[in-house]
Amino acid sequence: MSLRDKIEKGKFIITAELGPPQSANPDVIRKKANHFRKGVDAVNITDNQTAIVRMSSIASAKICLDQGLEPVVQMTCRDRNRLAIQSDLLGAAALGIENILCLTGDHMCFGNHPEARGVFDMDSIQLIATVRNLTEGFFLSGEPMKTPPRLFIGAAANPCGEPLEMRIIRLEKKIKSGAQFIQTQPVFDLEGFDHWLRAVRKRGLDKKTAILAGVMPVKSVKALEYMKMEVPGMKIADQMFQRMKKAKDPKEEGVQMAADIIRELRYREGIAGIHLMPLLWESITLHVLEKADLL
Amino acid sequence: MTEKISDNLFVTLEKKRLDRKEKWLSRLMLFMEDIIKVPLFRCQRCGECILSHTGFICSQRCPKRMRNGPCGGTSPDGYCEVYPDLRCIWYKIYQRSRMFGRLSLLYHLEKIHNWELEQTSAWLNVFTRRIDPPIWFIRKEKKR
Repeated sequence: MSLRDKIEKGKFIITAELGPPQSANPDVIRKKANHFRKGVDAVNITDNQTAIVRMSSIASAKICLDQGLEPVVQMTCRDRNRLAIQSDLLGAAALGIENILCLTGDHMCFGNHPEARGVFDMDSIQLIATVRNLTEGFFLSGEPMKTPPRLFIGAAANPCGEPLEMRIIRLEKKIKSGAQFIQTQPVFDLEGFDHWLRAVRKRGLDKKTAILAGVMPVKSVKALEYMKMEVPGMKIADQMFQRMKKAKDPKEEGVQMAADIIRELRYREGIAGIHLMPLLWESITLHVLEKADLL
Repeated sequence: MTEKISDNLFVTLEKKRLDRKEKWLSRLMLFMEDIIKVPLFRCQRCGECILSHTGFICSQRCPKRMRNGPCGGTSPDGYCEVYPDLRCIWYKIYQRSRMFGRLSLLYHLEKIHNWELEQTSAWLNVFTRRIDPPIWFIRKEKKR
């Protein structure tokens, strides 16, 4: 069953995230893919995450697909103009990749090539509409094509940005232009997330799309601090820091924290699933899911 | 055929490129436009002006040139991810729109930018129907 069918049937979805290597070695992906074999419905393949050059997301997704894992290809607007985006999407569909996550992309200044020219030909909302256009059989120019690709469109949402109403407006625009599932940034601040979720429910957006809440297990206090300082758009509750500082075994505590958040989120109204992001720690996935009673 | 699909995204092919006469006219009008728009709005001359949708703050000052709202990288208190000491331009746009009661305009899906119109006069482009005219007045919404 594909991710599309599972979401349409209303199954509780678990997706994970896999970062391609900074080399040409396909075995790294095969090895990481092994960690997601059980319990995970689909795996996001990041597209030059934080503007650091990595193996192409479509190529990595193909490797995952050959391993029997369903990939979700992330597509950013930072590196491609509308020609490249459309051709890449057609190529991905031809390789049998169905799920596309549309993102604007981190700015170049965060990565290892800060001097690069950012393309930003369109933004994520326009990218979603472009993908939808392609699935309906048209290029952006308005010309029709013979065999349209079959794609399942996803988008990202940031639940902890100010002003909240602007975040909701943007989410609504994403859904209006065709997003079929939403993956949020990692939740470290349940109170803030609930606040956002209430606003989402108020506008009935959770009925129109499947919202997968992001969860990230962290290894140490340092990792939490890094998330707060370096990763854009992240809000972390002080409670998390205190819990992490007190812990004897920070790794185990990180897993426990992630599992607790999953348990909390699981029965919230309007949450269709979990998006697990074990950044550089793919091997922990199974353990987290076990702790959260999701296996 | 094509109107059905999210038609507000399409770049209508006919009558988009400026001919020679229009180019001269555009240059002349751009000169006048710059005198007003650059000091007032720090206009970036995108040629496809959406100032009236964005509370009269130019959204093209954003490093990612977002036309449809803030990116996900905005800090929780509304600062830019690229220049952490600057407010996100969309934070300002939101505040201004709320003040003027123009929040409903932020729900508008903006077209994909037509880069052929870059460095041309948006005023001329409105007159020649290349872009949509600005929305000056909207039905009153409750101030919040």
